[in-house]
Amino acid sequence: MSKVIVVTSGKGGVGKTTTSASISTALAQKGKKVAVIDFDVGLRNLDLIMGVERRVVYDFVNVVQGEATLKQALIKDKRVEGLYILAASQTRDKDALTQEGVERVINELKEDGFDFIVCDSPAGIEKGAQLALYFADEAIVVTNPEVSSVRDSDRILGILQAKSRKAEEGGAVEEHLVLTRYNPSRVNAGEMLSKDDVVDLLSIKLLGVVPESQDVLNASNSGEPVVLAQDTDAAQAYLDIVERFLGGEVDHRFLEEEKKGLFKKLFGK
Amino acid sequence: MSEQVIELKGSVLSLTVLHIYSADINETKASLAKKIEQAPSFFVGIPIIIEPKIELSDPTFLALLVEYLHQLQMIPIGLRSKDPVIQEQATYTGLAIFPEDTRRPTNEGSDEKPRAAIQEKQPEQPAEPNYAPVVMDEPGLKSALVIERAIRSGQQIYAKDRDLIVLGSVNPGAEIIADGNITVFGKLQGKAIAGTAGCMNAKIFAKQMNPELVCIAGIYQLADDIDEQYKNNGLVEIRLKDEQLIMSAM
Repeated sequence: MSKVIVVTSGKGGVGKTTTSASISTALAQKGKKVAVIDFDVGLRNLDLIMGVERRVVYDFVNVVQGEATLKQALIKDKRVEGLYILAASQTRDKDALTQEGVERVINELKEDGFDFIVCDSPAGIEKGAQLALYFADEAIVVTNPEVSSVRDSDRILGILQAKSRKAEEGGAVEEHLVLTRYNPSRVNAGEMLSKDDVVDLLSIKLLGVVPESQDVLNASNSGEPVVLAQDTDAAQAYLDIVERFLGGEVDHRFLEEEKKGLFKKLFGK
Repeated sequence: MSEQVIELKGSVLSLTVLHIYSADINETKASLAKKIEQAPSFFVGIPIIIEPKIELSDPTFLALLVEYLHQLQMIPIGLRSKDPVIQEQATYTGLAIFPEDTRRPTNEGSDEKPRAAIQEKQPEQPAEPNYAPVVMDEPGLKSALVIERAIRSGQQIYAKDRDLIVLGSVNPGAEIIADGNITVFGKLQGKAIAGTAGCMNAKIFAKQMNPELVCIAGIYQLADDIDEQYKNNGLVEIRLKDEQLIMSAM
């Protein structure tokens, strides 16, 4: 059974694409067949973060519009077996996507035996975002621990409950929360909302917390999903997230301020 | 002192409409008799509006139907149709003519799509899903509208002619509106508007509140005007007294 996952947030810049890239990569590492689709038409990012921007010949819009086949457009990842990327077009706008076209692409991916189809949603609540979430079975809502991001996530959860196909059929999209850019010391200083505040307001299940880290930026700049930088906290956090997503029990990490030992205090990091 | 003798006033009444799907009078009669058999006393003396859904070519159909309805002790008072032929028949039979159905479109027989409340296109789907479904046409006792989940930013719930009970939280940016009372068992952090139709006795209860706005029958208070002692501090009752919102911890 293929599952369609939408990675969404409402607000921009919270880490949707980073999360999409890392979760897809980690799922593929676990032996699943994964397609990750960039719905942010006109502002493609996913191909950059996945390091495949120079290999894009045909994109998602070409397939939706019938100008290319899915086979031609899917880019096979060179690092991880079973991971495929469908890039967004840079030269079109979001109106180039149609509901029928998106449905056709998703159905075709399902027929091709993909276990997971990850839809990387654009920011906002307009057409592009709505198309990304419409066919979802599960939603991963990415939030930063600050008020405006949490509000926007609340809004997008409302839209998931009202405008997804599952909701229209009387069901519900399963909702997961990923809290990114979490900085325990700033939480303790009262500069950031705590994990509990966010979970309390959104009242959905927490899938994991990704700590704020320079490694994420470094990984993005080098065109590699951060989850592949194994020894970093962010990578560990994403691996935990995928483990939990697949039903495993893993304790939450990265919630407490790192205690600096004497050695670290003396010599810095 | 001149006492008022008569007064003409417009009024919106709830009436029973009889839809006709068959041009055969005998078939229609039989079907009516069967319906009434199920609850004979219920239909005695009720006013009826006839609305043919098909073309009636038989010029005596309406007269025969009216006669039969009288026999069944119902009172046909009018006709709703835009067909001039049937309208003419109705005037002979002494029925009033009502304008064509202008309420929100029903599923059957209506091709026009409901007006979209939200801009984006959602094919084959009335674009109003951000609102909770509200059943409005049933006469008699209306129980409260119960929402069992959280109401999220941007969502709006309206309980028409009844109370509203929310078991989850009302998040910032959400709006809950009721013609009756409002009770929130989660945290009330959005806007709560009770007694919208002007009911001064409406009350708002919240187990925990820090709302953006509370309003009863048009009298409102914004977050800044609400006394701090009621915010995030247990169950609060809000009611209206002498055109002022009175809050009390319970």
